[in-house]
Amino acid sequence: MFRFLNLTLSGVSNGMIYAAVALALVLIWRATRIVNFAQGAMLMFTTFIAWDLSQQHNVNYWVCLIVAVVAGLILGGVTERLLVRPVENGPPLNAVIVTLGLFIFLQGLAGAIWGNAQAHSYPPAYSIIGYKVGDRTLLFAPNDLYIVIAVAVILVALYLMFNRTPVGLRMRASAFAPEVARLLGVGVGRLLTVGWALAAGVGAVAGILAAGTQPGYVAPTGYFDALLVYGFTAAVLGGLDSSVGAVVGGLLLGVLLSYGDGYIDNNIEGIYALLILIGVLMIRPSGLFARRSVRRV
Amino acid sequence: MLAIEDVVTTYGAVRALDGVSLQVETGTIVAVLGANGAGKTTLLRTINGLVRPHQGRISYDGRDLLKMRVEHVVQRGIAHVPEGRGVITELTVEENLRLGALWRGDRPGSTQSMRQVYEMFPPLAERRQRSADTLSGGERQMLVIGRALMAKPKVLLLDEPSLGLAPRITAQIFATLRQLREEQGLTVVLVEQNARSALSVADEAVVLNLGKVVAQGKASDLAADEKLRHAYLGF
Repeated sequence: MFRFLNLTLSGVSNGMIYAAVALALVLIWRATRIVNFAQGAMLMFTTFIAWDLSQQHNVNYWVCLIVAVVAGLILGGVTERLLVRPVENGPPLNAVIVTLGLFIFLQGLAGAIWGNAQAHSYPPAYSIIGYKVGDRTLLFAPNDLYIVIAVAVILVALYLMFNRTPVGLRMRASAFAPEVARLLGVGVGRLLTVGWALAAGVGAVAGILAAGTQPGYVAPTGYFDALLVYGFTAAVLGGLDSSVGAVVGGLLLGVLLSYGDGYIDNNIEGIYALLILIGVLMIRPSGLFARRSVRRV
Repeated sequence: MLAIEDVVTTYGAVRALDGVSLQVETGTIVAVLGANGAGKTTLLRTINGLVRPHQGRISYDGRDLLKMRVEHVVQRGIAHVPEGRGVITELTVEENLRLGALWRGDRPGSTQSMRQVYEMFPPLAERRQRSADTLSGGERQMLVIGRALMAKPKVLLLDEPSLGLAPRITAQIFATLRQLREEQGLTVVLVEQNARSALSVADEAVVLNLGKVVAQGKASDLAADEKLRHAYLGF
């Protein structure tokens, strides 16, 4: 029973990280109907900028976090303007290829700057020694609590922005009905740039949170690619269209993977994720939180 | 005055508009009539910039509309009312309306406009927090017109407002247009398939056929021309 509790708790904190990656994917999917396959590489790159500052120049954790988010906002905005805009009106596959190209480019660039072979470690924000209950140690540390709170704050902030502010209303209108939105005076093009920037900013936070949980594992290739796959699985679980779905999908995935690791075998985590992804696509392809009405295209 | 001069709009090899000229005087209601595929909707889409013409000029009060981005046309006072399907069903009724006035950046002014829209269309007021998806066809038409009015437009471009509506509701909507013209000097370009009721509300009318103007004049004169009615207007 204690083991079950521990696996669940550990799944929750990992799941919140997957949820943040899923949120970044959902933001872009909702606005442009593009799955951003470069998201993993983008958050890897911003995390390495922060790592450079933190480990090579002894910059404070929070300053590094802010720098990473700002770098993400810029990277996302520039990506939309320079790479996505030119293929926006072409077949959807063109945009997918562009994001794949960016993924390879960023990975190569990061390897050239920081080296591919060596894995680095990124400091967590808080202690990673689990809370104690009596004489037993939980697999849930202050840093995990921080992760849960950080992602929850992002979710609430996004919710308020989308539902309570004029720019949020404009963004929703642009996503649902771009042509009608333009006729009503909404500068849809500019909002797409904002949307991509925002998504990459959320991704940057996810990267920093994830890096802090993986001591000795942070390299330009490898871990961050897996993070994209998990984030994508979480997003599909949640229906790709819903921010709440992304978070629930992330949590569900985190917990399921944690049970798989704990009760079956912890060397084949990727396979559990793949099974879950295939299962969802077969049983409920529109995800757990999809709108009931079918969207007209 | 909205001036359209010798406009040619093509879709590939098809000339959807083939040298159309039309002058819409301020404060008049002009009906644009014709069969399916005559180019009526293309005319509206060319005016608001959604499609760019091959040649020709479009100006409003001397200002060149063809150089303007779509989202700036409404800010010059020309609001577009798409068919009822143009409601954004993922938003609530009130969000749809608010969206129409966001570019004004004037909160008190927008709130006042919203109150006027609710007075004009009481069914919308009762459903303001509901998803626009739940509205009937007539209510959707009210919503798209109300949303356009939120922009305080000087010109209203309407695309088939009677489509799929009961005659009684169509009559109501046309009465509202007349009232807006009397009270606010609104200019209306009314694209309609339903020629009979459009001619009853319009001052002027133009008939399109295969992208060309085949008749133009006072609405009452066109309605009295039996040959024209049989050939192009179907009544």
